[in-house]
Amino acid sequence: MSAVGSSNPEYVVARVRARRGSLYGDEEYRKLTRMGPAEIARFMEESSYGAEINALGSRHGGVDLIEYALNRNLAEQFDDILDWSEGELYDLIARYLRKFDAWNVKTVIRGAYTDADQSSIEVDLIRAGEFDDRRIRRLLEADSIDAVVEVLEDTIYGDPLREAYAEYEETDTLVPLENAVDRAFYERLLSGLGNDEPTQQYEAFLKAEVDFRNATNALRLARSGADIDPAAYFIEGGELFTRGSLARLARNLDELVEYIADSQYGDELGPALRELEEADSLIAFEHATDAALLAYGDRLGTIHPVSITPIISYILAKEREVENIRAIARGKEAGLSADEIESELVIT
Amino acid sequence: MLEATNELGNVALQAGGTLTDANAAAALAVGLAALGAGYAERGIGSAAVGAMAEDDDLFVNGLILTVLPETIVILALVVVFIV
Repeated sequence: MSAVGSSNPEYVVARVRARRGSLYGDEEYRKLTRMGPAEIARFMEESSYGAEINALGSRHGGVDLIEYALNRNLAEQFDDILDWSEGELYDLIARYLRKFDAWNVKTVIRGAYTDADQSSIEVDLIRAGEFDDRRIRRLLEADSIDAVVEVLEDTIYGDPLREAYAEYEETDTLVPLENAVDRAFYERLLSGLGNDEPTQQYEAFLKAEVDFRNATNALRLARSGADIDPAAYFIEGGELFTRGSLARLARNLDELVEYIADSQYGDELGPALRELEEADSLIAFEHATDAALLAYGDRLGTIHPVSITPIISYILAKEREVENIRAIARGKEAGLSADEIESELVIT
Repeated sequence: MLEATNELGNVALQAGGTLTDANAAAALAVGLAALGAGYAERGIGSAAVGAMAEDDDLFVNGLILTVLPETIVILALVVVFIV
């Protein structure tokens, strides 16, 4: 609702736990991997996605329908959670959900850059963040990047974007703008968190996410061998890397892999790192980081039952479900076999 | 020494520093128990309403769990009868 008043974790946790029960389990995923896109849509219609499938069914079809229904359902659920929560709880949840704002800003900027029409940008937005409908409409109506920056003037993205815009005008690449958005998001993510036990666990989770993001970026840079300054992609706040160590390690893949294997994440990511060395496959590493985060999220919700942690745990599980269903639908569209699709899913 | 302590006790009593009336103490006990029950019900109640909003069938369970802390007040009420 808003950031004033005292937290109400009891109410939000009770609702979130009820919703968690209706997430898809192993059994449902196994069924879904054996269905075609139309059947998946029908299966979703009979579960918690019914309203979205019905609302969008007349305008879209096939895999697009599934994708848009997933996005809209995700946005609706997360909006609900923000609606319910008050006080400090709202602040903690909004921190994480702002990543959808960042996603939306980046989508709009890319759309303005490529002169995409308004409706095709609109379907790619996920309205789960803090931006209200009015601001999103103004963002969509902005027809140049300059106008987008103007709409965002009074948000946390205002100043960083304004600075990056000058750089964009010089180079005509979107990288500085996108980096500015990401950095504004991550700066707010970890600043001024509370000191109580559940909040500290939440902070540890956020730090792990930043670490994994840095590690993935560094691995990508190290593998591609491109002449890009790794420090430009560094995200502050993690524990694993500093700006200097990341810049050094990203030049040498072997050293980087060894460094991650020796870190506190070594146990969870070990098998994926070996696979990375042998098969040269980054996908396995990315899946391992996702699975490690999800497993941590599952554990999070059980230690402090009435706090922020079960809510974040649900948000993670829901995000993962949406990504899994999308992977199934896209895999079906591309004609992958059920086994291949199953290897793409992240299930704990 | 002993006399001095006695004297001190009398002074304290005259100043109204301690609770000597049994009925007042019992009333305080019940009041504090009710306060505790109220605080417990605050959390349970909001959780119960949240659960009910998701699933109407949970109304009975929610109601029972919400009023469970009320037993503390009933037990505290026993104190009133035995003083």
